[in-house]
Amino acid sequence: MANPQTSRRRFLAGLGAAGTAALLSGCVTDTSTGKGSSKGAVTLQSNLSAPQAKTAMEDLVAAYGKQGSGKASLNTIAAETFRTQLPTYLTSANPPDVYTWYPGSVADAYAKKNLLLDLDEVWSSSPDLKRYTKALHSLCTASSGKKVFVPNTYYWWGMFYRKSNFAKWGVSEPTSWDGFLDLCDKLKSKGVAPIGLGAGGNTPWVASAWFDYLDIRINGAQYHRELLAGKHRFDDPEVRKVFDRWQEVLPYFDPNGTALAFQDATTALLGGKTGMMLIGTFFADSAPKSALDDIDFFRFPVIDAKIPLAEEAPVDGYFASARTGRRDQVVDLMKYLATAEAQEIYIKGSSGTVLPCNPDAKDAGTTLVKKGRAHVAEAAEITQFFNRDSSDALQPTADTALTKFLAKPKQIGSILTDWQRDAQKIWNA
Amino acid sequence: MAVLTAPDRKSPARMPISGRRVRGPRRTPPLVLAFVLVPLLAEALWVFWPALQGFYLALTKWDGVSPPQFVGLDNFREMAHDDVFRSALGHTVLWLVLFGGLSAVLGLAAALLLQQERRGVGFYRAALFLPVVFSLVATALVWQAIYQPDGVLNRVLDAVGLGSLQHAWLADQDTALYAVIVPALWRQIGYVMVLYLAGLKGIDPALYEAAKVDGASAWQRLRHVTLPQLRSVNAVVLSVIVIDSLRSFDVVWSLTRGGPYHSSELLSTYMYSTAFQSLRLGYGSALAVVIFVLAFGVIASYLVRAFREAD
Repeated sequence: MANPQTSRRRFLAGLGAAGTAALLSGCVTDTSTGKGSSKGAVTLQSNLSAPQAKTAMEDLVAAYGKQGSGKASLNTIAAETFRTQLPTYLTSANPPDVYTWYPGSVADAYAKKNLLLDLDEVWSSSPDLKRYTKALHSLCTASSGKKVFVPNTYYWWGMFYRKSNFAKWGVSEPTSWDGFLDLCDKLKSKGVAPIGLGAGGNTPWVASAWFDYLDIRINGAQYHRELLAGKHRFDDPEVRKVFDRWQEVLPYFDPNGTALAFQDATTALLGGKTGMMLIGTFFADSAPKSALDDIDFFRFPVIDAKIPLAEEAPVDGYFASARTGRRDQVVDLMKYLATAEAQEIYIKGSSGTVLPCNPDAKDAGTTLVKKGRAHVAEAAEITQFFNRDSSDALQPTADTALTKFLAKPKQIGSILTDWQRDAQKIWNA
Repeated sequence: MAVLTAPDRKSPARMPISGRRVRGPRRTPPLVLAFVLVPLLAEALWVFWPALQGFYLALTKWDGVSPPQFVGLDNFREMAHDDVFRSALGHTVLWLVLFGGLSAVLGLAAALLLQQERRGVGFYRAALFLPVVFSLVATALVWQAIYQPDGVLNRVLDAVGLGSLQHAWLADQDTALYAVIVPALWRQIGYVMVLYLAGLKGIDPALYEAAKVDGASAWQRLRHVTLPQLRSVNAVVLSVIVIDSLRSFDVVWSLTRGGPYHSSELLSTYMYSTAFQSLRLGYGSALAVVIFVLAFGVIASYLVRAFREAD
């Protein structure tokens, strides 16, 4: 019995030694530098997995194929998987070519690591992109000065409510912070939870909208962006002011705010259990079509008139892998995606609450969308959203801090200290 | 490659010396060798190799994109001062005790109750075992609906006059962890029951008859016949429970994601969120190493003891 045992032990030791040697040489996590294949259709990796958006993307890819200059193949991935796998896609030896994602600091983080294809050629040769707004130009430019992103559509955030419910309760849109507090009071006296939230279940990030808006209203968009980039601290007095203001409206929040996901909070809003909700237009995807005409919104009330008016209007679009072997085909597809035609096809197929980035493209034309377009156009500054202005990695720190604040507002001091500590770890990572 | 050649080189050299083993063919037939080595190679490539990588990553700082930086034991040092890690560890221990303890006790109780062959007993066994068949993620969706503020649980409480107990079960830090344990238990009990049922079938009925003749009460028969006879099954159940507790992830992730504010965080969910949400893969790997050591430690110490007793 002794011999096989020793031999097994020796063998295992040998295996271990071989493994360790290979590990120490660092080949485990070597980033390969190979180029992807250069033949075949451009692969378009999409995170738009909601049924309507998915069909819209299929239509778009089919239209591109018909148009004759090239072919694309669509690969739709569940949104959550896409998000966690994106770094893996981008660093793999044979990556997909084009991806749906966000511009701004999220794209810039990848660009800094040389993972994104330089799209200067697309921007200089496309007649469409030249006419995009200045704000979009700078949003799609990485810190290196190169263009890395092609925007497609954008949407907006606002205080959404149901017109028929407001009429029934005899209330109307407020124009100031005090008016907003009066409105909350009135709704509460009618037995309605004035403010729905939807930060429960798997959508705790919705609460960040309140943080974003209070911060851009009190400290301004510039400060907000710097804060999220790590240039200020979450335990600074400026941030404390945001939460002091939030405490004023906290009694008006739906007590189930952190128990319901935003889809369920939408149902509560439409059913008249809550009065209004700070949400992005994507919530309409989970609303019945019949209710859509009854939905309206107002601007998050201005708190300090001296601060330049800012709104959250996140842009969606595409970037490409630096390792693609089909550079010319990617450039061609990107040019097509920037055209009015492409964006109209997408808007027609999707739920129709997004706005095209191309100034010539037609939106869905509903009253709501027209109002939304004007709402964003009036803003002097545009912010994207918490995770898009910082990183997906910072978002969970906000979720923890904000859900804790909603449950235990008195502990705000220690919550902000913890938040700063957690955020520091992410910024240092 | 060392994997392939190492045993090949050694075995012929050893054969002549080991006098006790020279029965049968002197050399191992190539087919047998292939049957052993090919799966071993596959296992090495897909299991041992990534596992070793995990150990290496635990000593680095890595964001998944840039090349990892070697930082020695910094990750483990950070862990010592990490409140979230400490509370996740506490929750995991609580999980092990509640989920493990209750599923063992209730599984055994169900097995004892359903071991007699009576009419319709098969139906109950099947009913209890059925949850094992469902995916926990799908199960979690149903439980999520039950726990909703206007869900079944709160409505039932209201209907029986306990409306004051109504809760946002998953959103309250005091109830979230327990609310997540219940669906996990619901599934595990059936599984443990089946293991015990198999064990009970293996007990010689003569032992019971002898005990009865000696005038042993039902409790005495359970205490002195059934339980000692189930010792070998207990080993299996314990391993299953420890492993299942430490890898419990899906149900927690789909119900609360470790929230609200880490109040239902387990080591497994904390590892996942650190690695794949915060993109701190080095620290996440260090957490994985801790989980591995815990699971391996418990099971290895138990197995060693069990083998020693068997000798």
